Amino acid sequence: MAAKKLNIKDKYRLLTRDLDWEFSYRDRKKAFPFEEFEGIKITDWSKWEDPFRLTMDAYWKYQAEKEKKLYAIFDAFAQNNGQLNITDPRYVNALKIFLTGVSPLEYQAFQGFAHTGRQFGGVGARVACQMQSIDELRHVQTQVHAMSHYNKFFDGLQDWSHMHDRVWYLSVPKSFFNDARAAGPFEFMVAIGFSFEYVLTNLLFVPFMSGAAYNGDMATVTFGFSAQSDEARHMTLGLEVIKFLLEQHEDNVPIVQKWIDKWFWRGTRLLTIVAMMMDYMLPNKVMSWKEAWEVYFEEAGGALFKDLARYGIRMPKYADVIEKEKEHISHQAWWTFYTHGHAAGFHTWIPTDEELDWLSEKYPDTFDKYYRPRWELAKEMEAKGERFYTKALPQLCTTCQIPMLFTEMDDPSQTCYRDSVYEGERYHFCSDGCKDIFDDEPEKFVQSWLPVHQIFQGNCGGPGVEDILRDYYQMNLGADNMDIKGSPDETRWKEWKKGVA
Amino acid sequence: MSYEVTIEPTGDVIEVEEGQTILDAALRQGVWLPFACGHGTCATCKCQVVEGDVDLGNASPFALMDMERDEGKILACCAMPESDLTIEADIDVDPDFAGHPVIDFVGTVTDILDLSPTIKGIRFELDREVEFQAGQYVNLRIPGVEGTRAFSIANKPSDNRTLELHVRKVPNGAGTTWLHETLQVGDTLDISGPYGQFFVRKSDEQDVIFIAGGSGLSSPQSMILDLLEAEDPRQIYLFQGARNVSELYNRELFEGLDREYDNFHYIPALNEPLEEDHWEGFKGFVHEAAIAHFDNRFSGHKAYLCGPPPMIDAAITALMQGRLFERDIHMERFFTAADGAEDQPRSALFKRI
Repeated sequence: MAAKKLNIKDKYRLLTRDLDWEFSYRDRKKAFPFEEFEGIKITDWSKWEDPFRLTMDAYWKYQAEKEKKLYAIFDAFAQNNGQLNITDPRYVNALKIFLTGVSPLEYQAFQGFAHTGRQFGGVGARVACQMQSIDELRHVQTQVHAMSHYNKFFDGLQDWSHMHDRVWYLSVPKSFFNDARAAGPFEFMVAIGFSFEYVLTNLLFVPFMSGAAYNGDMATVTFGFSAQSDEARHMTLGLEVIKFLLEQHEDNVPIVQKWIDKWFWRGTRLLTIVAMMMDYMLPNKVMSWKEAWEVYFEEAGGALFKDLARYGIRMPKYADVIEKEKEHISHQAWWTFYTHGHAAGFHTWIPTDEELDWLSEKYPDTFDKYYRPRWELAKEMEAKGERFYTKALPQLCTTCQIPMLFTEMDDPSQTCYRDSVYEGERYHFCSDGCKDIFDDEPEKFVQSWLPVHQIFQGNCGGPGVEDILRDYYQMNLGADNMDIKGSPDETRWKEWKKGVA
Repeated sequence: MSYEVTIEPTGDVIEVEEGQTILDAALRQGVWLPFACGHGTCATCKCQVVEGDVDLGNASPFALMDMERDEGKILACCAMPESDLTIEADIDVDPDFAGHPVIDFVGTVTDILDLSPTIKGIRFELDREVEFQAGQYVNLRIPGVEGTRAFSIANKPSDNRTLELHVRKVPNGAGTTWLHETLQVGDTLDISGPYGQFFVRKSDEQDVIFIAGGSGLSSPQSMILDLLEAEDPRQIYLFQGARNVSELYNRELFEGLDREYDNFHYIPALNEPLEEDHWEGFKGFVHEAAIAHFDNRFSGHKAYLCGPPPMIDAAITALMQGRLFERDIHMERFFTAADGAEDQPRSALFKRI
């Protein structure tokens, strides 16, 4: 009889959990200096249940295979001029936002998990964070490689990491992750591992990847599937973290609740841009933002919070406001970008008549009443040769850094303004949710690098907007920005498609 | 048409309908498998086929790669059996699981008792010895009823030539109606078993809490009789829930044990006692009795729950809010055809709850 094979659990124990050691001559607290300051109480790391049991040797084997497959598809996509199979060049603008706004977050996730993993006293949590960290590095690389092909044919993709660091609207995703990474290790895990990876990532990836598939972009579909196959570990890690914290000590419950409140609010604010992409930027629509929100948050998240209620965790604060927002935010955001289209690193446009009808159908309670008239006006102005661009720089929310574009949800004709005074200075917010977050940690958020403030303080060159866009943001003016109509992207596309039925 | 799928290393057996995924069938039949996305992209539910044929369904080529397909790996959330099947999943065998083999045997009815207005106690003599762990169940083949029906064993394992089942009559339930109205002393039935992962974790020395509702008293009865017979020293609490005194069956048995054993404590709870009951015990639901008795602090115990799904659900919430968690809560849900609530979306937060 052959020797008995180790089962998965024993193999994992030997190859990971057993790699830990006792601290005989060093103070354990000094080795893990960040483990206590957040107020989280860990009484017994051995109660950590490994969310997955993937040993490092198997990890490399699987990931190498995934990469081989993925890059074969990228090569085929490039050789077959796959960029010509997309629906129309408007679609590529969603990719520009993804590459400048989301892919750098994958890199921040890599940094965040590497740092956080180091700070955990429990070896199980450490190993899980290490693997996720390497995954995230792989994700950013595959996304950059997938989009490098588009960079040969379209504007706005050439300087994505520089733009991520400087451009006004990209400070929204950047500061989101900076906030998480500047927090303690447990808050980082609740913010990114749980709130973002487990609950909100479906709203980013599923619509985005389906959007790519509906619009003929096989390269993006493929990197999406490749990344999704790693998400299993990320999601189960997020779940284990939350269970572990809630079970370790009852004093952890209110702390975790506070973080859930904060990070769900921050997450929904961040997803505004996805809402806008789904409703306005995909030539072939997958589903409306409202529908996606109902399926992926209200149904799936509802089931989760029903289970979490057993631990004494309630729905995130302002869930009632969030429910109303699904009717409005995509329209409010795209209007803001349309009117600031000269200052964006991607193209904007008025929806076609068919698209306006689709929006009316998908948003019967709000679109015709509040938003369609604006687009009809924009059409009239454009027809007269007066395509509207605002001259003003927007006021930003100190917490989420989004321009103050959101309205009171019960009165969509009134912009929502909130403010707080801290040490004699007044700070402004887009919502009660963002104001609460500031009020809880004002000493952190007064340090926010707000792009518009920085411009007015003269820290971004200038003084003219064009100077800033050209010299500080390094945009190619007249190519990267402005309306898609008459853009080089559009001109080239028409040239390529000439003579094609 | 359905197929039998055996899940190793626990040996759980599930029935999977044509066109149904293995994961869906497993979760519906109370067998937990690791899963997350539920649609073939994340690979959390990856399993190894040991024997049999399977349609891989819509598994993503990144979640289930070619080399894995060649090795016989499947994703349970997409895979549909094309024959009877044995798979190996990444789940643990409990060290307290004795793993008695499932066998087929014949039971001859020796006794049918009216335990309550809705519950009958049925005793069988068996044609052979049947080894089982207290808390496990058997499947009965009932004449004229398709498939089998599961019932927990109420007698203790040392009585291995007899079988005692508690059968509540389910409104419009074909199987339980037949057992209540047609079955006679002297009849024989084909039975198989034992099945299930509900048993006392004896290697864990914490005190134990049993919470039982309706005919869900059967498993705890077997488990308690087994513990007391072995002179187990731990404290044992039985909370039995019923509507009124007539439904509170086997009360004398447990009141007797309570007097006889210092470490056994019997706490019945009635949620709708009748006036003629003159009830002086706990009024309310059984989980409320447990909260009151332990002053909402359950940590340091093992809990075993057995009964209808709403009772189990309320008891889990009570225990968790009293700081007792999944690893220390074990349960057997008594589903009937009337329980359609399982179609609600569920999160992956809990494995067994």
